[in-house]
Amino acid sequence: MSAQSDVRRTPYILLSPAIIATLVVVFYPMLQAGITSLYRSILWKPKDVAFIGLDNYFAILHDPVFWDSLGRTAIWIGLTVPLQLALGFVTALLLNRNFWWRPLARSLILIPWALPSVVIGLMWSWIYHPQVGVLNDLLMRCGMLQSAMPWLANPDTALYAIIAALVWQGFPFFAIMILAGLQTIPGNLYEAASIDGATTWQKFLGITLPGLKGVLVTAVMLRIIWVANSMDVIYVMTGGGPGYATHTLPLYAFKRTYSSMDFGYGSALAVTFSLVLLVLITIYLRRVGKDMK
Amino acid sequence: MVRKITRTLLASCGLAALLGGNAWADQTVNFWYHFDSPENVSIMNDLVKTFESKNAGIKINAENIPWNNYYDKLFTSIVGGKAPDVAMVKLAQQPQLLEMDALEPVGSRLANWPGKADLGNNLLDISKASDGNQYYLPLQYVVVYLYYRADLFSAAKLNPPATCEEFLEAAKKLTVPASANNGVEQFGFGMRGGKGGYDNWGPFVLSQSAFEPGGLKSAKAVAANGWYVDLFRKQKVVPPSAPNDGFNEIISTFKSGRTAMIFHHVGSAKTLVDAFGDKVSAVPAPSCNGGRWTSFGDESTALFKSSKAKDAGWKWMAFLSEADNNVKFVQATGQMTVTKSGASKMTFPERFVKATENSLPFAKPLPAVPQSADFVNTVWPVNMQRALNGEITPAQMMEALDSHFYK
Repeated sequence: MSAQSDVRRTPYILLSPAIIATLVVVFYPMLQAGITSLYRSILWKPKDVAFIGLDNYFAILHDPVFWDSLGRTAIWIGLTVPLQLALGFVTALLLNRNFWWRPLARSLILIPWALPSVVIGLMWSWIYHPQVGVLNDLLMRCGMLQSAMPWLANPDTALYAIIAALVWQGFPFFAIMILAGLQTIPGNLYEAASIDGATTWQKFLGITLPGLKGVLVTAVMLRIIWVANSMDVIYVMTGGGPGYATHTLPLYAFKRTYSSMDFGYGSALAVTFSLVLLVLITIYLRRVGKDMK
Repeated sequence: MVRKITRTLLASCGLAALLGGNAWADQTVNFWYHFDSPENVSIMNDLVKTFESKNAGIKINAENIPWNNYYDKLFTSIVGGKAPDVAMVKLAQQPQLLEMDALEPVGSRLANWPGKADLGNNLLDISKASDGNQYYLPLQYVVVYLYYRADLFSAAKLNPPATCEEFLEAAKKLTVPASANNGVEQFGFGMRGGKGGYDNWGPFVLSQSAFEPGGLKSAKAVAANGWYVDLFRKQKVVPPSAPNDGFNEIISTFKSGRTAMIFHHVGSAKTLVDAFGDKVSAVPAPSCNGGRWTSFGDESTALFKSSKAKDAGWKWMAFLSEADNNVKFVQATGQMTVTKSGASKMTFPERFVKATENSLPFAKPLPAVPQSADFVNTVWPVNMQRALNGEITPAQMMEALDSHFYK
């Protein structure tokens, strides 16, 4: 056995634990979900389990709750991620300036991100509560509301109220990532631009944004995936209600699987959503990340 | 040499038999239960200690499973071949557990159990399965009744409601705008439109419907549902958050003095007495157009077919349903004991025990069919919330419920 072949083999040996773990923990359950989705499989009817091919997928196409949930998932991702990004960007720019309590501000900003989702869900449910919640109380004291607004019980406002809570939870992620990116941009670029007479806005567009592109593309992609799959805050705040008003696709899949114990249909919903998300991420990377190596 | 080998083999077999015998004597019973309050787990630990000291060779491995995932875990554990030996179960899940062939009949064991005669009237009949066998041993029960603020009723010169009409009249009178109530908006009724609210809705609608094909969409049932939906949409005697309100919300708004009536069972008596003392009282659910219904909330223990410690498991089940042990158990859950001899030892204020007892004659569980579990978890909350928000009519809601049970 030559030293050269040992060198060639070493990376595979070193990578194998991670690959084996990924195969067992990620790919095996994915494969299992794919197989289960081809069966009629209601947990409490073990005698009725049967292979039905793509019937669950055909049923999904005719399921109005699926299409409503898909639309809501698009609103959910389409509003949450850009709002988190905008708020995170502004926060990062502020935290990148020099002020005496900057270290404290950087620590405080992480609190929403560090809190468990269940705590955030419960906290915001009580903030929004029409009888005992602080939000209605403040708005009524300011004269902006005449009577308490049931933010989470009204189907027109429930989803947006949860999006606001999730924006609050997720913006520190963007803030920290962008702040880290800002600190890698060499200061002499700004100095050179100033000498050339560039305005603050021109420096932002010409130096800051291009310098942050790599960080932004990666952070947005990660958040799209996390926000798309995130259902814990919705589950705690409304359980998907009122009616179907806050059902997103992952929540619908979860409820069909665990509340109704319909593992076949629930798996088909989960697989369908994974494919939709895969397509979305592929399009995103091709369009936004095409210049990146 | 051959003789030596034979002797060694025989000695080994003897030792193995001896060890095997010990292993058989030391049985472990895996028991799943759910207590809402983690502090009460110490009560379960005491019960386990008492049982183990009286039954040498049996070890109880009691596991408190969070309620939100209780049945998900139980059902998946059964399918995965890892079911507990004994678990707390409700009647609504019995048809599904039978369909899974997961339950061990306990009829013959029950017949020889001295504690049987001490069980409350009808409890065994109520928990009997549709195939005529007994799989469940009653452990505790509750009946949903109406809590009301006696002081507010007295100030408004109202009697606690005995009928739907009186209920509506009281709810209207006790709904007071913030401007006329020291800045606090007060509502007559704390409606539970979210998960678990079917037992608030049942006294008004199931009292005028029947669990039979078409029985949930009859003209009378639809009218009753319209009346209930109108408490929110037209009469506005319930908080605007009602469609999403669950147990925590209705209890907290009642405790903060913002609602005058709520439905729940004796499990809330202590916390409400702590908040209001004698100003809170209870009556059975009102009758509506001559019909009366309230929810019988049951909890039993069941022995699983896959158990390898069935005798020991039965001993543990029986122990939990015996007088003093059962009284101790229900201290942790705040529910009613299933034993006649234990009933006198309950520490609830008498008015709540009386409201429970007076509700028993018309208290019913949901039908013992597999659809009941999904009705409670998903079908009722989704359709109720949609009806309350005007996305569907009360008639469409009843149509959906009827087709869930009888399509």
